[in-house]
Amino acid sequence: MLTPGRYFLAGNIAAAEAALIAGCRFYAGYPITPSSELMEHMAKRMPEENGVFIQMEDELSAISAIIGAAWTGKKAMTATSGPGFSLMQENIGYAAMTETPIVIVDVMRGGPSTGQPTIVAQGDVLQSRFGSHGDYETIVLAPNSVQELFDLTIRAFNLASIFRNPVIVLSDAELAHMVEKIEVAQKYDIVEFNQVEVDLVPSFVPLGYGFKVAVTGLTHNFKGYPITNDVKVHRELVTRLVDKIIKNEPTISDVEIINPEAETIIVSYGISSRAAYPIIKDNKDVGLFRPRTLWPFPESKFKEIVKGKRVIILEMNLRGYAIEVERVGRKYGGKDFETIHIIGGEVPKPSHIEEVL
Amino acid sequence: MYPIINKDYCKGCNLCVEVCPKRVFEKGMEITHRGYYAAVVKYKEQCTNFKIPNGGKPLCEICWLTCPEHAIEFKED
Amino acid sequence: MEFFDFYRKDRWPHQFCPGCGLGTIMNCLYKAFNDLNIDIDKTVFVSGIGCTGRVPGYINADSLHTTHGRAIAFATGIKLSRPDLNVIVISGDGDLFAIGGNHIIHAARRNIDLKVIAVNNANYGLTGGQMAPTTPYNMITTTTPYGQREYPFALAELIAAAGANYVARWTTAHPNQLVKSIKEAMQTKGFSFIEVISQCPVNFGRRNKMGDPVFHLRWIKDHSVPISKMTFDINSPYDIVDLNTKGIYIIGDLVKRNRSPYGEIEKEIEVKGPQE
Repeated sequence: MLTPGRYFLAGNIAAAEAALIAGCRFYAGYPITPSSELMEHMAKRMPEENGVFIQMEDELSAISAIIGAAWTGKKAMTATSGPGFSLMQENIGYAAMTETPIVIVDVMRGGPSTGQPTIVAQGDVLQSRFGSHGDYETIVLAPNSVQELFDLTIRAFNLASIFRNPVIVLSDAELAHMVEKIEVAQKYDIVEFNQVEVDLVPSFVPLGYGFKVAVTGLTHNFKGYPITNDVKVHRELVTRLVDKIIKNEPTISDVEIINPEAETIIVSYGISSRAAYPIIKDNKDVGLFRPRTLWPFPESKFKEIVKGKRVIILEMNLRGYAIEVERVGRKYGGKDFETIHIIGGEVPKPSHIEEVL
Repeated sequence: MYPIINKDYCKGCNLCVEVCPKRVFEKGMEITHRGYYAAVVKYKEQCTNFKIPNGGKPLCEICWLTCPEHAIEFKED
Repeated sequence: MEFFDFYRKDRWPHQFCPGCGLGTIMNCLYKAFNDLNIDIDKTVFVSGIGCTGRVPGYINADSLHTTHGRAIAFATGIKLSRPDLNVIVISGDGDLFAIGGNHIIHAARRNIDLKVIAVNNANYGLTGGQMAPTTPYNMITTTTPYGQREYPFALAELIAAAGANYVARWTTAHPNQLVKSIKEAMQTKGFSFIEVISQCPVNFGRRNKMGDPVFHLRWIKDHSVPISKMTFDINSPYDIVDLNTKGIYIIGDLVKRNRSPYGEIEKEIEVKGPQE
């Protein structure tokens, strides 16, 4: 594992090393540009840390294998990109239903379909939250630098352990290949399974210890027995699955706010948010609201600053986070909503924001 | 011991009637409380295990193995 | 171990239709475990979707009822992170070979130490009797109302070719042999695969003049040929694909190999080239 100190790492490598520090000891994956380096690094490092690495035959089995491994009490992760992430959706729903703690690093690339394999985009924002069918919640983190990718990957494992839920780290092609300085701290708080008790989250009982655990993706009662035609059981189960994330939103959500008093607020996240810094540095009239946790939506933080403000949403897709920002913003008295959507692989520049300002 | 059919479990598939080489079972004519025509043990003395005392290891348990409902048990009155 | 130590008594009687072959297979599974005295606390049962996918839920052990087709992949994850556990996959032919076909051939290729019991009832029973990749030629199902017009899969032969260590095929009409086969599989290291031809009187038999489970069981018995009576000839009109198309099943132990399972291949593998 990385010893404390300064390193000069690409995003993919940093995410892999962060996972190892967080206690990840199982990696299953399938190569896909631009996430392949993460997998290659894991292939090298996992045996050194007594972990398990396996290259599966597709993304469907990659996520299945990590759910299986997670149920034996291992911290497990996989990494993928757009098309592979689409394939994983069914089992993300399964992980949400069975309350399996897993971490997925989704390195976003241009879509839809095969799209632009080597080029950056932010098109998976809604998919990471709404991709699978039915009612469920995911926790989605969006870093904007390699340092943050490193820190948030560790946090992703902690959140997964606390809330027994799939946690998705939305990296992107730019972040994955960008080499930046990172600082590895002396000590990180690593949360093990069942270490923290949270309301609505049952304790995690892994397979293989004689507890006779029954796990099913069907609607089940507290024993794990499938009960598929009982209104009450389904309502209670799914409401709890959603509530355990939504009601804990204030503790999960993590945002960066600069110039909260400004008249105009730029809402941006991930790599595109980096275009906002030069503007807010010289201009006190413009503020920045940058969620590090995209989902659950940081409502508790956003409502405090949005009232009466002009909001500019900057992201690298045509229909994405803006929908939710506008919905929540209007609810809490946001005045004017404008969006800057940049696609095609161009990373937003400060000039893009200046045009709107 | 010989086979006894548990009417709580039997769903009347009559596979025991088919597989028993000694023809111990017969199709039932009476409807059980669950709504099935449970098979009946007609000729218990023909069963291979008839002379084995209760709790012994049965020589033939093809009906027990085949019964999909686990409705057959080897017992002695 | 009593029967209801192995199965959850509070869930009995099970939900399967009258005459379903799954109950027979459950009995055989219990008997094999009881005879070998295997610790079920060190065993995990994994299944996919389908009637067969519900079997592990009845077993009084750790069970994972997964998404459609992915049982093998979940089992791979469990086995690799806890190699001390016995991991048994019980699933149907549609789950393992149609939607999950990719996973099972790769697991057999890797020779992961999984025990797979594939219950082949020649149709999709749970969804109402649609055509499966194993439905014999000319059989009527709800999606082949004019008769099946494709060549079906020969499951056991496919897995044998993919490199499994132990491959057998039995039917619900051969429960004693099936028990023996499950014991053999449990004692074999590496990928072990047992295909069990099972009756589905309600959804498959009913549309093919075998609505009575007894008739369906008789059909299975009449259509199974012991491997010892088979002579393989590539030019013979009765090669495996043809037999399979007609719904004739070769029963017995098809393959016993001794390849090192996944994770234990340490020595350099000698690969022999074609002999000149």
